[in-house]
Amino acid sequence: MAHAATSSNSAPRLEMRGIGKAFGGVTVLSDVDLIVQPGEVMALLGSNGAGKSTLVKILTGVYSRDSGTVRVDGKEVVFPDPRAAVAAGVRLLPQEISVMGDMTVAENISLADLPVKRGPGFPVVDDREMRQRSRGLLDQLGFASIDTAMLVKRLSVAEQRIVEIARALAGKARVLVMDEPTAALTEQEAKLIFQIIARLKEQQVAVIYISHYLNEVFEVSDRIAVLRDGRNAGVFETRTASRGDVLAAMLGRVADDLYDIERRGADGDEILTVTGMTVPGKLDGVDLSVRAGEIVGVFGLIGSGIETLGRAVYGALGPRTGGTVLVGGSTYRPESARVGKARGIGFVAADRKREGIIGDLTVRENMVAPFQDRYVRGLFVSRSAETEQAKRWIDLLGIRTRGPEQVMRTLSGGNQQKVCVSRWLVDSVKLLILEEPTRGVDVGARHEIYLELRALADEGLAVLVLSSDVEEVAGISDRSVVLDRGRVVGTFGKGASPAELMAATTDDPAFHAA
Amino acid sequence: MTSAADRSPTVAGSSRGPLLTFLGRPSSGVVMLFVFYILLLVVFSLISPFFMTTRNMMAIGSNIAFIGLMAAAGTPLIIAGGLDLSVAAIAGLVGVLIAVLYGDYGWNIWLAAVAAIVLGGAIGAVNGLFCTRLRLNPLIVTLGMMSIVSGAALILTGGLTKPLMVPGFNWLGQGRIFGVPFPPILMMIVFVALSILLRRTRFGRFVYAVGGNAEASRLIGLPVERVQMVLYVLSGVSGAVAGLMLAAMLGAAAPAAAAPHLLTVIAAIILGGTSLYGGRGSVWGTLLAVLILGTLNNGLTLNDVSSFWQDVTKGVVLMLAVSLDQIRTRALGE
Repeated sequence: MAHAATSSNSAPRLEMRGIGKAFGGVTVLSDVDLIVQPGEVMALLGSNGAGKSTLVKILTGVYSRDSGTVRVDGKEVVFPDPRAAVAAGVRLLPQEISVMGDMTVAENISLADLPVKRGPGFPVVDDREMRQRSRGLLDQLGFASIDTAMLVKRLSVAEQRIVEIARALAGKARVLVMDEPTAALTEQEAKLIFQIIARLKEQQVAVIYISHYLNEVFEVSDRIAVLRDGRNAGVFETRTASRGDVLAAMLGRVADDLYDIERRGADGDEILTVTGMTVPGKLDGVDLSVRAGEIVGVFGLIGSGIETLGRAVYGALGPRTGGTVLVGGSTYRPESARVGKARGIGFVAADRKREGIIGDLTVRENMVAPFQDRYVRGLFVSRSAETEQAKRWIDLLGIRTRGPEQVMRTLSGGNQQKVCVSRWLVDSVKLLILEEPTRGVDVGARHEIYLELRALADEGLAVLVLSSDVEEVAGISDRSVVLDRGRVVGTFGKGASPAELMAATTDDPAFHAA
Repeated sequence: MTSAADRSPTVAGSSRGPLLTFLGRPSSGVVMLFVFYILLLVVFSLISPFFMTTRNMMAIGSNIAFIGLMAAAGTPLIIAGGLDLSVAAIAGLVGVLIAVLYGDYGWNIWLAAVAAIVLGGAIGAVNGLFCTRLRLNPLIVTLGMMSIVSGAALILTGGLTKPLMVPGFNWLGQGRIFGVPFPPILMMIVFVALSILLRRTRFGRFVYAVGGNAEASRLIGLPVERVQMVLYVLSGVSGAVAGLMLAAMLGAAAPAAAAPHLLTVIAAIILGGTSLYGGRGSVWGTLLAVLILGTLNNGLTLNDVSSFWQDVTKGVVLMLAVSLDQIRTRALGE
């Protein structure tokens, strides 16, 4: 079972040293060390883009490393693919719950290593053995209450998480990476995960715990490793570390060159007024306003409601929203993206690939798509009018492309994002809503996008940015709002520090009580 | 976090040789099909003296027109992320409906023809409603519709073939303009019209955008469902017109005459370079594929290859073409 991996010597359970990784010439990790002892819970902290995901993907065999060594129980390992990592006892609990809802608990747990027995001439799955093994794993985690014959889709989200953990522990688990394991859970349910972690410690598993919730990290971890800009930014003993030290290591001094964006006091007309915006289970009575010429940033962690707020205002959620929205002083009922667009709202989605770009089309076609009517002359679309406009936008935003006819898919993330912004730069759009405007965008292009948002605001556009990157919100907003579990928990003027914003969201009484 | 996929493709294109640059163009698939078509013509004319005759070419034209019409309308539908498996069944139903209305109920033949086309459009609209409003999988919806429509055609005639000899009407299938049979002329008109629709109009842009990324299209406020709806109706109408033409050509309406051609229609669209996942394709690719499949059929028949072997050949060509396209795409590192 989980503790079967004995360490005869005193080597760390996991020892990653000098890990480096670059994508297309951009360094994402350089010289990163991560050492975890048996039975230790190591929290891994860092802002968006600090390199946590990349480090974990290298550890679990998703990416190969450019440099450095990985040792498990003192033995050097190379994982060409995730299967090899699993075989070596390195297991991952991904952020998104991934279970097969229509299979039983026992099947879900045993899927990667189904027990077989001799059948009528060919091996068949040994159901009894499978149930017993799953039972053993669940009991070991302290969940005798979960029935192994139950279909997984009938379990609660927390129970599904537990099944997933049991699956990750099947066989000889030595290292377990938990990526935001409590993101989809209530506080009560999160406690269950903490209980499990305590048991894993007893079984000498090394746990790497990734979370944005500082309180959680301080409650559950033994040590805290911080990454910043792809490098080690300190390792702390949790018992003796102060919250301030950890935050400082995580956020660093605000990168002056990245966020040298001028801030303004807003005196324009109120373009957007949201009162009591409610979406069941996501948003709970959010008030918000944005003026012409103003950049308002909304900061929140995953699951806080920032994924929902922009869509709810724009209309992309359909008419399932409560509360009132005023656009340009008159009531607006968010119904659909079409209506939102007609009322002068533009929207740039967080997931560029899935919801933003149309990859097979050209830059020109992507740019003109929302307002295609404007390029129709008589019966036909005027390609020359489109090209002219596309070239203007390429120049205006400094988009690096071979020209308007380049296929969208082949642009870099930052340039794709600029195209997604350019689409809305027509006179009828008064409010631009951007979700995670610089996710997956390299530092240079990020700065250009910030400058461009400022310039657009200065020309009278109202800009609403929703982001889980605290530095970004603090760095570019004229006013910022912090969301937590669907509510506004703080409002700040220009010049609020990332630490202030972060503190607003992590001051969660439920966790303090624990 | 930045993923590898976000960054790596920036280097595309610039440092490649001329071959890969050519293959990287979206039009290269159509060019390759054209070359293959010419090759096919050359090979068959070398083997058989009867192949490259005006008469034979006209015969090929008449034979492919019926499939070409359905494939033409099916192309934008698949580009927009839809699929219509009921189109050939609609063609069968329409033929017998006209025969029954005209023969058994004494309707005016043209009135019956119009009614049949309206029926085709209506069936398309039902397909569209199920696929867009209820968001059901088009494969299942139109497979079900195919079964319903085929069954209805058999019920209407009790499974029998109905004669349909009306001089004016039969001209649609047998008539000629300046010596060229009418069916391929109509097919070409439809191809040209659809090409203009797709390349030059606002609607055409929406078709590619919706198929390329429906979610992104919805979020920038494009009428995703309306576009797909229109295309389902168009596909239904194309099935009706094809069925009408087939009945006119044969001088009879058989309930099961059209249905077996469904696979050829879909094969032509895919062979023509339209992505089954939507977002990519052109009607000219489809036209070339229809020509290739029709020519292959004709050439093999002229050379006394049994129709059983023809099916095998068709399958091999289709799989080869699709594999080549996939290899091409992978070679470009996507």
